[in-house]
Amino acid sequence: MLKPSQQIVIDIYQDDSSFARSVVDELKRLRIARRIRLRSAADWHPDLSLLHPTIVVSAALETRFLQALDCPHQLLVLPRETDQQESLKWHGDVLPWPSSVGLTLQRVQLMATSFNTMRQLHAVRKSLILHTQRVEREHELVEHIFRNALSRNFTNYEHIRTLLTPASKFNGDLCLVAPGPLGNLYVLMADFTGHGLAPATGALPLSQAFFAMADRSVSVAEMVVEFNYRLNRLLPNDMFCACFLLELSANGERLSYWNGGMPPALVFGQDGVVKHRLKAQHMALGVLSVDDFDSQVATIRTQATDAIALFTDGVIEMLSQKREFLGMEALEHLIQTYPGRDDFQSLVTELENFRGTQPLHDDLSLAILQCCPTGLASPEYGDEVQALPFTFQTTLDAEDLRQVDVVTSVLGVLGRLPALHGHRTTIYLLLAEVFNNALEHGLLGLDSRMKSDPEGFAYYYQLRTERLQALQSGSISIEVRFDQRQNYLRISVSNTGVPWEPDQPISTTRLSQPYGRGLDLLQQLADDLRWTDNGRKVSFGYHLASR
Amino acid sequence: MSITRHVSNDGKELTIAVHGKFDFGLVHEFRRAYSSIGDEKPTIYIDLRETEYLDSSALGMLLNMRKAVSDNVKGIHIINSRPEVKTILDISRFDKLFTIE
Repeated sequence: MLKPSQQIVIDIYQDDSSFARSVVDELKRLRIARRIRLRSAADWHPDLSLLHPTIVVSAALETRFLQALDCPHQLLVLPRETDQQESLKWHGDVLPWPSSVGLTLQRVQLMATSFNTMRQLHAVRKSLILHTQRVEREHELVEHIFRNALSRNFTNYEHIRTLLTPASKFNGDLCLVAPGPLGNLYVLMADFTGHGLAPATGALPLSQAFFAMADRSVSVAEMVVEFNYRLNRLLPNDMFCACFLLELSANGERLSYWNGGMPPALVFGQDGVVKHRLKAQHMALGVLSVDDFDSQVATIRTQATDAIALFTDGVIEMLSQKREFLGMEALEHLIQTYPGRDDFQSLVTELENFRGTQPLHDDLSLAILQCCPTGLASPEYGDEVQALPFTFQTTLDAEDLRQVDVVTSVLGVLGRLPALHGHRTTIYLLLAEVFNNALEHGLLGLDSRMKSDPEGFAYYYQLRTERLQALQSGSISIEVRFDQRQNYLRISVSNTGVPWEPDQPISTTRLSQPYGRGLDLLQQLADDLRWTDNGRKVSFGYHLASR
Repeated sequence: MSITRHVSNDGKELTIAVHGKFDFGLVHEFRRAYSSIGDEKPTIYIDLRETEYLDSSALGMLLNMRKAVSDNVKGIHIINSRPEVKTILDISRFDKLFTIE
């Protein structure tokens, strides 16, 4: 008849009356718990936070028993003769004593069970609160990182309009805009599988690579190869990234794009009539290995009045009030109705009206870029660079000339100086012309006229290589002087070879002649060009501010 | 990888990009890049965005290319030149021989 109790500890508060002692003795005999802790009833009060299932045994119904209890899951044992109406005012359970063994065990069990359930519920609730707090903190952290990662995003470029609406806190869509140093503009629209935090994390490496490569003006094809490589290594197999990447040339006339798994971008004219649908020709990023990946880019011509609409499938698969998809046709129709750059807000309003109160099922992104000249070209370096005057001098003997790529080496040093960096291409050209003259004509005895046809051209450079390898004597000296006050560079190159007579500059009638152009460039780009020592020494100046 | 070459899917565009230094060191590689251009009469784009250095031999190579392919292409465009490179092309009056963007 007696079940061994599952309950480990039960606390009993008792008032030390003979009634209480007999009740406690009986409860002990019934082994209601493995351990019974006895407490004085004087220590009990209604706000007690209980550690174990609790029984209160009292010979009389005291007024403090009638107050609201912090924990109602406790059992009060009173003499059977206590006023029943009064004892019902106790917020917990009441057991009139004496009571049958069965009823006693049942009531104790019931009390213990509800107490334990309550305890568990409290514990779960507490851990949920902690969990929620932790998630919120982590979301804040991630949001902060995203904000910083995308702080360079040039979405306020004056010729682009965007609508970016995530379905949850984090956006699995990505719309990135960045200017290139040539005045060109890059726009990337990407859609990771799924939405929420998981896909958004893929946005970090993608955006970092995008901005870094845009700064270097890397081509679209090379960009997507790098993106694919990164995402392929990073993303789990069931995750990938549809992506549309475009580059608009500085004059707005040439648009190169790569579309991997995105809906067709729409190129439309002033009247809203769609001229091109730039459909996906490739798999999404992160699917194919480096070897299988196809970075083939397509190019279209655009006019200043053209615009291109990029969007994720969230737009065309948006559900209406009647749970119907928007679809491509309806989107094209909307664009045709609102083609102007000032119509974008109306277009957004139409889309919102269509959706009504229907919740978003996917992230939704739409960007419309006007294909006009970007007006973004920027100077490479500021002019206000502090500089020191210097002289650089080197003399190269036959062995040096055989082994060193001289002009590249000199520019490798000088081109790093802030004052010269923005002019390195021109300085390279000027130095290359006079150095090659000294080497090819002075030391190697080559004749430029050989270069007049393509075969001769290649043969000339083959001879140059052969003769250079066989060169045993002779040297070339280079001197570069920089006057920082005049912002002026003076370069002299001399050789120990044979005298040489410079050609006449080529005339416009010989425009397409493939040689003799070097002198022409020297005369036009350099200042105060002087030949001395029978053509063995040449010197010229170059104004750094003249660009 | 100083020269990269891309042909569009329809064969109508051939893009040749020159990276770093453009001079006679690339004479064979550059010729190879335009040696097979297909029958589509493509437009050739010479992409100079990553061309940091060039000299007159590069200009000679461009002219040789023009001579070799001009009957079989729709046009030759030189694109994405940095301002300094653009100045050099302008001085050489390449705008009369190529489309410079």
